[in-house]
Amino acid sequence: MNPEPYLTVILWVMPIYLTAFTLYSVRAVKGPTISDSVLAIDSMSYDLAAFITILSILFRSPILIAVAIVLALWVFALDIYVAKYLESREMGE
Amino acid sequence: MEELINEVLMFLGTLMIVVGAIADLIGSIGLLRFPNFFVRLHAATVGTIWGAFLPLIGAALFAAGYVELGMYRWFVAGGALVTASLILLLGPVGSHALARASYRSRAAIPYPLIHDALQEKMREGEKK
Repeated sequence: MNPEPYLTVILWVMPIYLTAFTLYSVRAVKGPTISDSVLAIDSMSYDLAAFITILSILFRSPILIAVAIVLALWVFALDIYVAKYLESREMGE
Repeated sequence: MEELINEVLMFLGTLMIVVGAIADLIGSIGLLRFPNFFVRLHAATVGTIWGAFLPLIGAALFAAGYVELGMYRWFVAGGALVTASLILLLGPVGSHALARASYRSRAAIPYPLIHDALQEKMREGEKK
């Protein structure tokens, strides 16, 4: 069994992910309101977690998977903090 | 037999990663082109569930069939499954909280709007 063809296909798909990250960052910088920027950063970081997992397979370095779990949790914390700040104008005690 | 199972796992994983990349591109184009925040939430959903959850499941399947990683392939597969279930639970919750907060605080105005029933309900609640 030879995994090389599958790894080649995954390697050729990587530029699509990078293009999507560029478009997300354009919206995050341009976004007219705070909510737009936070939504773009939210989607971009969830996709970045998937990207890091695929990179850990391509590079054969399993330790990278620990980064993805922490990234997903921190982005959820960002969502909740910004929502709470917008609704009640305070960060919580 | 085991080689066949590994081959099928790797094929399914590659298919899911490719579909996830295309959905990711569609979601980012939608996020860039849609007119206001509440419509952009729809594109963000495509980018989160189809663009992050599906490739993570695919990466878990691929890692489970990728023998060259050694015993660590179960570590990668388990981590990818945990991240996928976290995103499936936390992504919609975060988007809902953000949408509710930006409607109530009027941080984002829905401008191509014909009838706003929620606004009337909120005004009635204030009068009582």
